[in-house]
Amino acid sequence: MAIHMPILIRRCDAVIKMDLIWLSNYAISFLLILILNFVLPRMMPGDPLHAIYGEEALISMTPEMEAEIIKRFALDQPWHAQLITYITALLSGDLGYSYYYRTGVTDVILGFLPWTLLLTGLAFVISSSAGVILGIESGYRRGSKLDGCMLSGMMFLGGMPDFFIGIVLLLLFGVTLGWAPLGGAVSPYAGHEGIDLVLDIAHHLVLPLISLVLVQIAPTYLLTRNAMLNTLRARFIMTAKATGLGEGAIRYRHAGRNSLLPVVTAMGMRVPNMITGTLFLEIVFSYPGVGTLLNTALSARDYPLIQGVLLIVTVTVLTTNFLVDMTYVRLDPRVRYAR
Amino acid sequence: MHVDLWREMRSSPAGIFGMAIVAIIAGLAVSAPLIAPSYREIGPVFSPPSGEHLLGTDDLGQDIAAKLIHGARTSLMIAVGVALLSALISVVVGGSAAMLGGTYDRVCMRAVDAVISLPSVVVMILVAAYLRPSLGLLIILISLFSWPGGARIVRSQTLSLRERLHVVAARAFGASRRYILLRHIVPDLGPILVAIMIQDARRAVLMEAGLAFLGVSDPMMVSWGRMMKQAMSFTYLDVWKWWLIPAGVLLSLTLVGLSLIAASLERAMDPRLQEDA
Repeated sequence: MAIHMPILIRRCDAVIKMDLIWLSNYAISFLLILILNFVLPRMMPGDPLHAIYGEEALISMTPEMEAEIIKRFALDQPWHAQLITYITALLSGDLGYSYYYRTGVTDVILGFLPWTLLLTGLAFVISSSAGVILGIESGYRRGSKLDGCMLSGMMFLGGMPDFFIGIVLLLLFGVTLGWAPLGGAVSPYAGHEGIDLVLDIAHHLVLPLISLVLVQIAPTYLLTRNAMLNTLRARFIMTAKATGLGEGAIRYRHAGRNSLLPVVTAMGMRVPNMITGTLFLEIVFSYPGVGTLLNTALSARDYPLIQGVLLIVTVTVLTTNFLVDMTYVRLDPRVRYAR
Repeated sequence: MHVDLWREMRSSPAGIFGMAIVAIIAGLAVSAPLIAPSYREIGPVFSPPSGEHLLGTDDLGQDIAAKLIHGARTSLMIAVGVALLSALISVVVGGSAAMLGGTYDRVCMRAVDAVISLPSVVVMILVAAYLRPSLGLLIILISLFSWPGGARIVRSQTLSLRERLHVVAARAFGASRRYILLRHIVPDLGPILVAIMIQDARRAVLMEAGLAFLGVSDPMMVSWGRMMKQAMSFTYLDVWKWWLIPAGVLLSLTLVGLSLIAASLERAMDPRLQEDA
């Protein structure tokens, strides 16, 4: 045991070093975003006050408000003082002031965030598990009619733009058949409580959720199916068959489980895709999440709000990716050396 | 890698189907000035489909069919522009990083990692919200976010190609790095570059439509995404049947066509996938 200790320590060092390198990758991306957020409005023609708030906002502003904003962002100071003010404000959770909602950007976003988390979280769980199961079944039946149909169906679905799938479902089930509400997350002024409220929320959630799952299921399915095809070729599958194990045991316990690793790995990479998909689908269904907020901010040209939303989304994506990276290095030691 | 791409593509049904779709859209785009010269003319608004207006008119009274055909032009110009520019950056960065190595290689790969971890759609929305990009600027912006994936592939391919015998021989005869890169490595990268370009083109078409759907690209540009955004505010009228749906179908067809081509290329290059009918 004692002989192995140095090797063990060296391996731990290597892991920490890799983590640091990855952490620095994310730090660089995060810095890039901050720099863009800081530089873009200041690069625009005209003075930064106009660029940060936009023409529309300034018309409704009093000279006192203008003076207040100039002081708050240190706009009359040289750029490094502006940068320091910007960073300190960010660190204290202050993302600026939304003139459209007439309150702090952070508060506005926090009000919309829960709906987005609900939608994305559910869609992630459903699309991942359904994709894995369909992939395993399809891969196991490779070459059969069912496999062929699923494969071409998924390739078609995966090629479609996410917001158009949402539009089609909305027009079919919302506009034409009238089975689902046309927008929102709860019926306004209905005063539902308890179980009624839950049902009402589910009723509003179902179409956006189905669209998001339909969009997201294809990549997981295709990856699981490919991994299945590779695993089924392995020797231990033949051994399992020879020992007379049942079909189900081979399919899930032996082949399925061993095909999961690349799928888990790819889940982290799907997070940005998933979040942007949610943004677009929320706009289609006027679902009151961050996507709809972004749409409102874009059409009102409320620049601090636009920046705030996009900053929150970026930080979420970077954090999730980092966590997934850390997890799968620990799941599969081979990945560590492959990098 | 010596793969006869053209032959592989013709032998796969997905490839043929994809190429047929893209060819039809490209045909529409190229002949747009001939078959739909008057797409900016204004007439009565919201007229239903008729002999004069094949798909009726929109809220401005412009002919929808003509606008759709011109939308194909925008989408394809974006696709071609981004595919070329982004592949060029990929080859320059990936190829030079592999050939020069050392600190330069590490810096390049670090830049690749940083840009890849950014959620590109989100950053594009941010930049576009300020700049309201026109066609040319949009091509440059999308390319700035799509080159890293290609650069990583080009780098690893170049690293393996430069150890091949004919490259070693050329080096022994005193060939310069630039000569080796242009003469021996880039031609061998051909098939993989085509695959990268198709992927980039697909992403670019989707990105342009998405940005236009959010209303953050140049409003003067005719675009399927923008048409869908405009039509979305009139779902209470019947116009969505000949306005919203055709725009979405054309966009989806283009994207599916490009995905099918990409999938058949991937199959042509990865022998493990080939036994799979």
